[in-house]
Amino acid sequence: MLGKLGKSLAKTMKKLAGMTIVDEEVVKEVIKDIQRALIQADVNIKLVFKLSKSIEERALNEEPPKGVTPKEHIIRIVYEEMVKLVGETPKPLKIDKKPYKILFIGLQGSGKTTTIGKLSRHLQKKGLNTAIVCTDTWRPAAFDQLKQLTQEINIPVYGEPENKNPLEIANKGLEKFKDYDVIIFDTAGRHKEEKHLLEEMEQLSTAIKPDETILVIDGTIGQQAKEQARAFSQSTPVGSIIVTKLDGSAKGGGALSAVAETGAPIKFIGTGEKLEDFEVFDPERFISRLLGMGDIRSLLEKA
Amino acid sequence: SNIFSFIREKTISEKDIEDILWDLEMSLLESDVAIDVAEKITDELKNQLVGKKVKRSTDIIEYTQEAFKNSIRDILTVNGKDMDSILQEKQNKKEPFIIMFVGINGTGKTTTIAKMAKYFLDRGLKPVIAASDTFRAGAIEQLTHHAEKLGVKIIKHEKGADPAAVAFDAVEHAKAKGKDVVLIDTAGRMQTNVNLMDEMAKIKRVVKPDFIIFVGDSLTGNDAVEQAIKFNESVGIDAIILTKADADAKGGAALSIGYVINKPIIFLGTGQGYDDLIEFKPEWMIHQLFT
Ligand SMILES: Nc1nc2c(ncn2[C@@H]2O[C@H](COP(=O)(O)OP(=O)(O)OP(=O)(O)O)[C@@H](O)[C@H]2O)c(=O)[nH]1
Ligand SMILES: Nc1nc2c(ncn2[C@@H]2O[C@H](COP(=O)(O)OP(=O)(O)OP(=O)(O)O)[C@@H](O)[C@H]2O)c(=O)[nH]1
Ligand SMILES: [Mg+2]
Ligand SMILES: [Mg+2]
Repeated sequence: MLGKLGKSLAKTMKKLAGMTIVDEEVVKEVIKDIQRALIQADVNIKLVFKLSKSIEERALNEEPPKGVTPKEHIIRIVYEEMVKLVGETPKPLKIDKKPYKILFIGLQGSGKTTTIGKLSRHLQKKGLNTAIVCTDTWRPAAFDQLKQLTQEINIPVYGEPENKNPLEIANKGLEKFKDYDVIIFDTAGRHKEEKHLLEEMEQLSTAIKPDETILVIDGTIGQQAKEQARAFSQSTPVGSIIVTKLDGSAKGGGALSAVAETGAPIKFIGTGEKLEDFEVFDPERFISRLLGMGDIRSLLEKA
Repeated sequence: SNIFSFIREKTISEKDIEDILWDLEMSLLESDVAIDVAEKITDELKNQLVGKKVKRSTDIIEYTQEAFKNSIRDILTVNGKDMDSILQEKQNKKEPFIIMFVGINGTGKTTTIAKMAKYFLDRGLKPVIAASDTFRAGAIEQLTHHAEKLGVKIIKHEKGADPAAVAFDAVEHAKAKGKDVVLIDTAGRMQTNVNLMDEMAKIKRVVKPDFIIFVGDSLTGNDAVEQAIKFNESVGIDAIILTKADADAKGGAALSIGYVINKPIIFLGTGQGYDDLIEFKPEWMIHQLFT
């Protein structure tokens, strides 16, 4: 673990390409490059070292299957170790009762409200009658934002801009939309130091009894992702994660830390500000992005 | 020196400081300093220390830590454009001081504008706010709410209107009504979105702001570097405000940004209230790194 971090994964991968037997020296070099790539991608440092240690052990101890080159062997191991965290296939959001209640939580400005607009559109397209309740009593114009986001798609939004009691609003919303297939609850942004707000979130969750609680993680967040995710999930168990702002250049490694911390899978990603900028989570693409490797898929197909 | 100086002196070798440099690099990384910047800082420190002659009694670890703190201070002590002196200049010319706020989505630009409006009000100045985020849902209403609460004039058009035109009108208003400061809110945008970056540059061309503030989120990781570089290339950044420092952020973005664009961090946002804005001091960063 001690010593300089690597330089460039792409370069060492080239070095690996010509090899016929697993060379300990080169494996160590690759591991350092992987560490570097993951740290650059904002994955939690301790998690990076844990991951790279298991990759190194396996790469050095496991015999590559017949006909598999050392390069393909190592890529396969890297991929498998990462998949252990994010899952091999995306976990769907199963709407299995009515009304299905979804609670959105997350840090200030992470993208909750916008993502609620996107998810409501996604569910509407599946033929589900969806409604939204705005319990954000903190941010000015939170209700206007939701109304404007969804007005072109005709999703009803309940809110009381003058009411400062989110519990009251949540209960009224539950009553009002009880015949809908899905009710999504927006909440105010908060962070782990705002104990009163975390308590408020806990109370909201107790009142709503959500079937799913979604933690929204800003794709640009760094090392704090882990601690923040932990604080959230300690107050309110987290069922899934949505990563936003992946249309920028950030790699989204903070989300991996959040996954490791909460055990909740990533289900969707946000790739822009518009309602359509929303995708089902693709583990392979996400892992490629984290490692800064364009085409892990083609490498895997060969491996 | 005399022939006995070797008794009193020792030369720092790479080996002596290897471990402490690694520890310092790790604390930079754990505090969200971007990896390229963290490496450059520790490399420069190594070059500066290896071969240096110090007193025999010197504790090398402490010595390295002190040198490290000094380089952090150096990076964060920037003699950029000073907001107060430009304000003074504009006051003397009886012209409004025009500040434009830029940054990626959701960092806290709009909230910070409300805080800055309060900051100038507290100093007896009259600000006017320009609602130039005409794109995001609820953006105009959000800013209007802040302006009303603070009792500050807001210039706004319809949603979807030309942001440069809104900013222009606000400047005209300030000139006509003798307002001291124009605070221009802009829509959040990704630094990778060329069209939106161009749109922002257009606002700048139209209103020629005196000061451009980049608003960054202190929880940002490695991307802070890309953001700072791209926004600086597109419009030129004069100063930085980092928000959400109250979220127990280590705030390494301050160091990353300071290092790559060499511009001063002026304030930290420390909450959602109007007074939650504190002056940034390099010592804050040092404190974050060592606790
Ligand atoms: N580029 C991009 N912007 C996004 C994405 N998701 C959200 N945003 C933007 O991020 C900003 C913040 O989004 P909001 O939905 O207001 O975030 P929030 O978590 O509800 O914020 P609070 O309610 O204040 O805590 C807005 O400018 C959104 O348009 C995304 O995937 N990509
Ligand atoms: N805790 C905390 N929250 C903050 C701070 N600054 C802003 N916020 C919150 O962050 C969220 C986003 O703030 P905005 O001011 O809307 O951010 P913005 O950059 O204008 O967002 P867009 O216009 O959508 O790009 C809001 O919920 C704010 O209340 C801060 O210093 N501390
Ligand atoms: Mg919101
Ligand atoms: Mg804004």
